[in-house]
Amino acid sequence: MNMKIDEKILQSQVQDTPCSTSSLSNYFEKDAPDEKKWADCVHCGICLESCPTYEVTGQEQHSPRGRVHLIKSVAEGKLSLNEQFMDPVFACLDCRACTTACPADVEVGPLIEEARGQIRQAMPLTGWKGMMSKFFLEGLFPHHERLNKVGTLLKFYQKSGMQTAVRKTGLINIMPDHLVAMEGVMPKVTQSVRKKYKHEDVIKAKTETKSEVAMLTGCIMDVMFGDVNDATVKVLTRNGNDVTIPKEQTCCGALHVHAGDREMGRKLAKQNMEAFHDADTVITNAAGCGAMLKEYPELFREDPEWHEKAVEFSKKVQDISKYLYDTGYEIPKAELNTKITYHDACHLVHGQGVRQEPRDLLINIPGVEMVHMPNADRCCGSAGIYNLTNPEMAGAVLDNKMENVPEEVEMISMGNPGCMLQMAMGVKKDGRNQRVVHTVQLLNWAYEKEDKKREEENEWQ
Amino acid sequence: MAMKGLKIKDKHIRSLANLLSGPKPILYHKEDLLAYDCDGFTIERHLPKAVVFPKNTEEVAAIVKYCHENMLPFLARGAGTGLSGGAIPLNNEVVISLTRMKKLLSVDLENRIAVVEPGFVNLKLTNSIADKGYYYAPDPSSQYACTIGGNVAENAGGAHCLKYGVTTNHILGLELVLPNGEIIEIGKDGIPDSPGYDLLGLLTGSEGTLGIVTKITVRVLKNPEDKQTVLAYFDRVEDGSQAVSDIISTGIVPAALEMMDKTAIEAVEAAAFPVGHPRDIAAVLLIEVDGISSGIEEQISKILKVCKSRNVREVKVAESERERARWWANRKTGFGAMGAISPNYLVQDGVIPRSRLPEVLKKINEISEESGLRIANIFHAGDGNLHPLVLFDARVPGETERAIEAGSACLKVCADVGGTITGEHGVGIEKREEMRFVFTDEEIVAQTDVREVFNPDNLLNAGKLFPTPGRCAEVKKELKASTS
Repeated sequence: MNMKIDEKILQSQVQDTPCSTSSLSNYFEKDAPDEKKWADCVHCGICLESCPTYEVTGQEQHSPRGRVHLIKSVAEGKLSLNEQFMDPVFACLDCRACTTACPADVEVGPLIEEARGQIRQAMPLTGWKGMMSKFFLEGLFPHHERLNKVGTLLKFYQKSGMQTAVRKTGLINIMPDHLVAMEGVMPKVTQSVRKKYKHEDVIKAKTETKSEVAMLTGCIMDVMFGDVNDATVKVLTRNGNDVTIPKEQTCCGALHVHAGDREMGRKLAKQNMEAFHDADTVITNAAGCGAMLKEYPELFREDPEWHEKAVEFSKKVQDISKYLYDTGYEIPKAELNTKITYHDACHLVHGQGVRQEPRDLLINIPGVEMVHMPNADRCCGSAGIYNLTNPEMAGAVLDNKMENVPEEVEMISMGNPGCMLQMAMGVKKDGRNQRVVHTVQLLNWAYEKEDKKREEENEWQ
Repeated sequence: MAMKGLKIKDKHIRSLANLLSGPKPILYHKEDLLAYDCDGFTIERHLPKAVVFPKNTEEVAAIVKYCHENMLPFLARGAGTGLSGGAIPLNNEVVISLTRMKKLLSVDLENRIAVVEPGFVNLKLTNSIADKGYYYAPDPSSQYACTIGGNVAENAGGAHCLKYGVTTNHILGLELVLPNGEIIEIGKDGIPDSPGYDLLGLLTGSEGTLGIVTKITVRVLKNPEDKQTVLAYFDRVEDGSQAVSDIISTGIVPAALEMMDKTAIEAVEAAAFPVGHPRDIAAVLLIEVDGISSGIEEQISKILKVCKSRNVREVKVAESERERARWWANRKTGFGAMGAISPNYLVQDGVIPRSRLPEVLKKINEISEESGLRIANIFHAGDGNLHPLVLFDARVPGETERAIEAGSACLKVCADVGGTITGEHGVGIEKREEMRFVFTDEEIVAQTDVREVFNPDNLLNAGKLFPTPGRCAEVKKELKASTS
C-alpha cells in the first residue's frame, strides 16, 4: 500500500528509539534502572488518577507515566541526572497505587527507587541535608541499641514534665510546623519487645504449638509502637505460634532505598537475610518493612548469588494479618462494641496485595461495626519519612485523605506505623477525637477482654 | 502574582506566568516539558513551549487572548489519554492543561443534568451520583483517567455506546473560549434541542480545533433496574460475528456487545486483570443487556440460544456483580494490556458494517503476515467499531514505519468495505492522511472553511484533523510555523 509517511515521524523515530539504550544512556552503568520495567509502559495514562501527587498538582511530571517517561529519557540520553530530573523522581510517595492500577503491570515503584539510586550516585547529599540523612539513616535506624536510647530519652521527655514545659513555654515554636504537628501526636512510648523478651530465645505458644515463626520488630515500630509489637507477639502465641525474635536483625532498609541509598539497603538486607536464615516464616506488622523484605531481590539484580538468596527469603515473608487469616486463628468471643473504619496502608495493599484479610479480621470481632471509607487505598502522605522531607506535598495528600475518613467512627485501623503517625496528625489537624490503631491491637484487645470476662466469671463461681 | 522572584528569561513565559494563579502554574524546563511531548499516541513527539495550568475560565481566556495577540500557537490538553495525538504540540504550542479545572459544579437529578469543569474525570461523575441511582453513560475504556473535556473534544465513545450513544448524545451545553479569547455559551440551562444550527454537535468531536471548552452540561441517566452479562467463547471468528448479527436481528439492543480475538485474549490474560479465558479460542464475546427487570431473562435466553446455534464452545452468565466487574476490567484495560506482550502498540479505530467482519479480519490477518507484525483485534462488535492493535518494537529499526503502514492499511480495508476510518478515537495526527480514504479534496476544504470561521489564524491546535493542506494559504501558514 502506498502510504506517505510524514518526514517528521521518521525523524522523531530516529531520535526516540536508539537501538541500544546503553550507548546513549546518561545513567551510571552500575545498578542502572531496568529497561525491561519501562518497556511494558505503553503510555496509556490509566495510572494518572491513582497517583496522589498528580491529584495534588495536576502535572504529568508528577504522575507515574510521566516519571516513567522521564526515567526512560535519561536512558535515551535526552535528559541528564540533574536537579530538574530529581524533583519529579523524589516527589513520588512510593505508594505503589500505580502498580495496582496499571493494566500492563509496570513496576513503577522499583523503577523510581533505581532512579533515585542513580541520582544519589550523581549528586550525593551535602550540607545540612546530608548530615541529617547520615545521622538518621546510617547512624540511628540500623542500630537497635541507639534506637532504644532514643526511646528512653523520649520516654523521659514525656514523663519528666519536659514535654509539658516545652509545649507551654513556647520553646516548641522554634521547630518547623510539620515537626510541631508530629510532636503533638507522638504516641506514648512503651516498652520495646526486643528489650522485653531479650532473655527468651523462643516465646512459647500459649496453646499447642502449630508452627514456629520469626518476627521482624522494625526500628521505628519497636521504639515508638512497642505496644503494637507486644500485641503482635501475644496474638501469635495465642494462636499456636512459637515466636522468635532474632537478635541480629536490623532495620529493613526501606527508608534507605526510598532515599536512593541502595548500598546501605543491600548491607542491611544481607544482615537480615542472615539473621532470619533459620526461620521458615518471617512475620512483619509494618507494611513498609514487609514490602521491602519482599522486594530484596530487586536490590541484587547484579549479584546472582545474593539474588537467589533474596528470592528464597522473600517467599518466607508474611504480613501478620495475612498470616493469621491464611493459617487460621481464634475468632474473639468478647464484644468490642465500637465503630471503626479501615485505611489501607499503601505498602500492604499495593506493595503486598493484602486488601481483604485485615478487613475480615476486624469484621469478625464481635461488636465491631465497619464503616466504609471511600478511596481507602489512597496514600495518607506518610510514605516512610516523606512527611519529613516533603512536608508540603505530604500535608496536601493528608488533607485529601481526611476528606474521606468517616466522621462517625471511634477508631481508624491500619497496618503500618508511618500511617499511624500521619493519620493521627490528620485527626488532630481536623479537630477530631478518633483513635488511630493497628489491626492487631484491636484483635488483642478483644482477646484481653474475653480473658478478663472469663476470669471474672471464674471468680464468681 | 505567582512565580514572582523567579528569573525567567523568555518574555512570553514571564507574561503568561503573570496571568495565572495557584502553585507552580507554568512549566517551562525541558525536564518537565518532556512529560508533555505526547499523549496516548506515542509515535510522534514534540516539546511544547510551555504548559500552563489555569484555575478558571477567566484564566483560560486571558492565556488564549495573550497567545492570540502575540501569534503564539496553543492547544488544550486534559489527561492526555487520547489515542490519535490530538494533544501533541506539533508547533511548539503553549499547552493549556485543564487538569486543575476539575470540579463537579452542580448536579440536578430532577432534570437529570450535571455541570462539570473540563478536567473532571469521566468515571468520577458516575461515582459521584451512583449512590442516588444515576450514572453518566459514555464510558471510554480510559474512563478511569480521561477527562470529560477531552471526551467532548474527541466525541468519545465506549463499550456501552451501542445502546446509549456517544458523547455528543449526552452534551446539553458548553461554555467555550474562542481562539481570540472571547467567552461564549451554547445550549444554556441544559435544555436539549435548541433552535438554530446544532453548534453543540459541531463542537463535540472538533478535536480541539474550534475552541477550548471550560464548562460542560451533561445528561445523566437513571441506573437500569437490572443488568446481566454473558461471556461466550467461539472456535471460529465467523461463528462469533454471525452470532453478533443474529443477536441484533432478534430485536434486542444490548447495552454492550464486545469481541476480542485470539491475540487480544493472549494480552489481557498475560496482564493485570486475567479472567481465565481459554487461550485456544478464536473469539470471545462479552454481551450485556440492561433495562427493566421483567424483560431481561427473556433477552438472556434468546442470546444463549443464538450463541448455541452458532456453535459456541462455552457460554456463561455472570453470577455476581464481582464476576461481571472482573470481566469488564479485563476488557476495558485491553489496550494497556498490550504492554504485557509487546513494547509498543498502535491502535486503529475503523468502523465497518458488522456483516463484513469475517472478511475484514481475514484481510487484517493478511496485512499482519505481510508486515511481519502481530495484530490484535478488540471490537465494539455491536456498532461495527473495530480496533486493530498493531504490535511492534520501536527499538527495532524500521518497525515503527511498518506499524504505521500496517495501521493505515487496516483503515483502507475498513473504508473499502463501506466503513470509515474512525469511530471514537478521532483523527488527530494519526489519521490525517487517511481522511483522503473517505473525503475528496473539496469535502476537506469545505471542512477547513468551517474551521476558519472559529479559528481564522489557525493558532489553535494547528495541523490536526485534516491532511497536509491542499491550499496555498495553508501551505504558507504551515511553512511559516515550521521555520519560526
